[in-house]
Amino acid sequence: MESIQFIDLTFSSTFILFLVGFVGGMVSGFIGSGGAFVLTPAMMTMGVPAIVAVASNMAHKFPKALVGAYKRNKYGQVDIKLGVVMGIFAEIGVLIGKNVMVNIRTAFGPTGTNLYVSFVFVIVLAIVGGIVLRDGLKEQQGNADTKDKPPHKLPPLAQWVRRLHIPGTMIHFKSIDAKVSFLVLAPLGMATGMLAATIAVGGFIGVPAMMYFIGLPALMASATELVIAFVMGMGGSILYAMEGAVDIRLSMIILAGSLFGIQIGAIGTTYVKDYVVKFVMAAIMLLVLVSRFFYIPGYLSQLGKIAPIDEGTIRLLNGIGEGTLGFALLFGAVMILQALYRGISEHRREQSAASAAVSATGLLAADARPLSPLGRFGCFLVASDNSDFSAAAVREALGMAQKCKARIHVMSLVASGLEYGGLGNPVLKEELSLAQTHLDGISQQAKDRGIDCETHVIHGQIVDQEILSTAQRFNTDLIVMGRRGRRGLARMMLGHATARVIGKSPCNVLVVPRTAHIEGRHIVLATDGSRHADRAVMTAGQLAHQCQTPITVVSVIDHEATSEQRIRAEQVVGRAVDYLKGQNITCEGTVLTGRPDGEIIDMVNRKNADLIVVGSHGLTGLERILVGSTTERILNGTTTAVFVVKGG
Amino acid sequence: MSTQSNSAGSTAGAFVSTLALGSVSAALYLLLYLHEEKLETIANLIRQGHKSYVVVPIGIALIFSFIHGAFTGRFWDLLGLKARK
Repeated sequence: MESIQFIDLTFSSTFILFLVGFVGGMVSGFIGSGGAFVLTPAMMTMGVPAIVAVASNMAHKFPKALVGAYKRNKYGQVDIKLGVVMGIFAEIGVLIGKNVMVNIRTAFGPTGTNLYVSFVFVIVLAIVGGIVLRDGLKEQQGNADTKDKPPHKLPPLAQWVRRLHIPGTMIHFKSIDAKVSFLVLAPLGMATGMLAATIAVGGFIGVPAMMYFIGLPALMASATELVIAFVMGMGGSILYAMEGAVDIRLSMIILAGSLFGIQIGAIGTTYVKDYVVKFVMAAIMLLVLVSRFFYIPGYLSQLGKIAPIDEGTIRLLNGIGEGTLGFALLFGAVMILQALYRGISEHRREQSAASAAVSATGLLAADARPLSPLGRFGCFLVASDNSDFSAAAVREALGMAQKCKARIHVMSLVASGLEYGGLGNPVLKEELSLAQTHLDGISQQAKDRGIDCETHVIHGQIVDQEILSTAQRFNTDLIVMGRRGRRGLARMMLGHATARVIGKSPCNVLVVPRTAHIEGRHIVLATDGSRHADRAVMTAGQLAHQCQTPITVVSVIDHEATSEQRIRAEQVVGRAVDYLKGQNITCEGTVLTGRPDGEIIDMVNRKNADLIVVGSHGLTGLERILVGSTTERILNGTTTAVFVVKGG
Repeated sequence: MSTQSNSAGSTAGAFVSTLALGSVSAALYLLLYLHEEKLETIANLIRQGHKSYVVVPIGIALIFSFIHGAFTGRFWDLLGLKARK
C-alpha cells in the first residue's frame, strides 16, 4: 500500500478546518444528519487523502454518538439490543468497506480511493438529496399528507419482515415487542457499515432501514442509530487507526468547530418550518454532489481510464469543484443563521406580546392572593414524561390540586441537543406532537375534576434545569415529580434529576415513587430541630389539616448520642407535637435511635403511612456528595411519597 | 425576591462550570498543538506494526469529545441561545 501522508497544519489550514467543522456541525445539527457528507469532501478538497478524511471523520463522530445514545437512553428511546445487533453487522460492513478502500488504494493509489469515494458520494447524494427535495416540495405545497397520516402505521415492508419466521434465527426486540430474523438485520447492518466506511455517513441507510424494514418509530430509529454509529464508528476508527489512517489532529480540530456549530443548527430547527429544513438539506447535498462531480474527470484521467486531460483543464475543474463546495458551505451557514435570526426575532416579539398580556391580567390576579408565611398551595408544577414513573406524580398532583383548589402546570420535556443526530427536525416535531398529545390527556383529566390546568412542552437538554426554570417562570408553590430508580454509585456519580431539583428548587417538592398512593392515612414528619425542620412541621400541619390526617413526629439520634442530645431531641419532638395539637391535629411524637433514613422508613412501614414530610438543607454538588443527604437516602429507600419542604 | 437571587445564583454557577470546562478544553487543545509532531510519529509507528499505539488516537477522541462537548453544550445556553420553547 502506498504510504499515507498527513497534511501539514499551518495557521490558515487549521482555521479553515475549524471553520469547515463549524459549518459542517451547523449543517449536521440543522438537518439532523451526519455532517460528514460536507466534512469528508471539504477535507479532500484541502488535500487530505480520501482514506484519511473518512477515517478522521469517523474518529470525531463516534464519541458524540456515545454521548447521544446515553442521553436518549435515559428517555427510553433506545433499543440497545437492536442497536448492538445491528452495530455488530455494521462492524462487519465497516470491515468489508475498509478492505475495499485499502485494496483500491493498493491497486490504484490515492487517486483510486479519491475516485471511489467521490463516485459513491455522487450516487448517494443524488438519491438522498432527490428524495429530501421531493418531500420538501410536497410539504410546502400542502402538508395535509403529514397531518392526515395515521400515527405509527406499520409500513408494509415491516409487516412482511415481522411475519417472516426463519427458525433458529429469530431475535425478540422489546421496543417493537416482536421477533425479527437476524438474516434480515444482517444485510441492513452491513450496508450501513459499508456506507459509513466509504463516506462516513451510515445513518443514510441505518435510520430508514429500521423505520421501514423493522417498523421502529422514527424517534426510536434515530436514537438506536446512535448505538449503531457508536459501535461501528469506534470499531471503524480502530480499524482505520491500525492502518495509521486516522489523523487525530484533523479529527479534533473538526470536532472543536463541529461541537460549536451543531448546537446552533439544532436550535435553528426549532424556529423554522419542516420544509425549510428539507430545502436547505437538499440544496447542500446537491451542491456537494456537483462539487464532487467536477473532480471525477481529473481522477479518471490520472488513472488512465479516459483520454488524458491537460493539467490546466484539471486545475480549472478542480477549482470549480472547490468553489462549488465553498459556496455550499457558505450557503448552508447563511441560510441557517438567517433562519435562526428571523425565528428568534419573531419568537421574542411573540413572547413580549404574550407577557404584556399576562401582566395585564394574570399577574394582577395572582398578586391579589393573601400573603402566607407558611407557604401557599395555590399553584403546582408537575413534570411528566408519559412513563410509569411520572404517572403516579400526575395522579397525586391532580388529587392534591383538587383538595387545595390549586392551579396546575403540567410540563413535558422534549430532549434536544447533540444526540439528535439521526433524523433531526421531523423526529423532534414528532416527539413534540406526542408530548403535547400526552399533556392534552392530562389537561382533560384536570378539567374533568374542575382543576385549572395549563400544559407546556419544553425543549431542553437538562431535565432538572428545565423543571426549575419552569417553576420560576410560573412562580409555582410546589413541584411534583416522579422518581427513577437509579441507586448507589451511579446516582452519586451521575447525579439525579430529582435530587438536583430538590437541591435548587425555590419551592417545595413532592416526590412520588411509582407505586405510591397518597390517601390521607398517616403522615410521618421527620424533624431535627433545624429551621428547615420547623418549616416542615408547619407545612405538615397544613397538609394534615386539609386531609384530616394523623401525624407521627420523629426525630432520630445515633447510638453514640449523649443524654443531653437525647433530651434536646425529645424537646424538639415535644415542641412540634405541641404546635400540631394546637392546630387540632391528631398527633404523637417519638425519638428513635439509629440511622435516620432507616428509622424513618421503618416508622413509615409500622404506621402504614402514605406521606413522609421532611425539611431540606438544600445541599447540592460536591457538598451533597461529601456530606450526603438524609432526604435523598429516604427517597432512595422508600416507596412512599416524600414531601420535601424547602427553606425560604 | 428569592426567585431572582436563585436565578442569579444558578447563572453564576453555570458561568463558573462553563468557564472551568472551557479552560480544560483549551488546555487539551494546547497540549494537542504542542505535541502535534508526536501524534504523526505515533501514526507512523502504528503503520510500522506497533498496533498498541491505536489507543492514543481513540483515547484522545473520547476525552476531547466529552470535555469539549460538555463545554459547547453550556456555552450557547449561557449566551442565551436556546431552542424555541
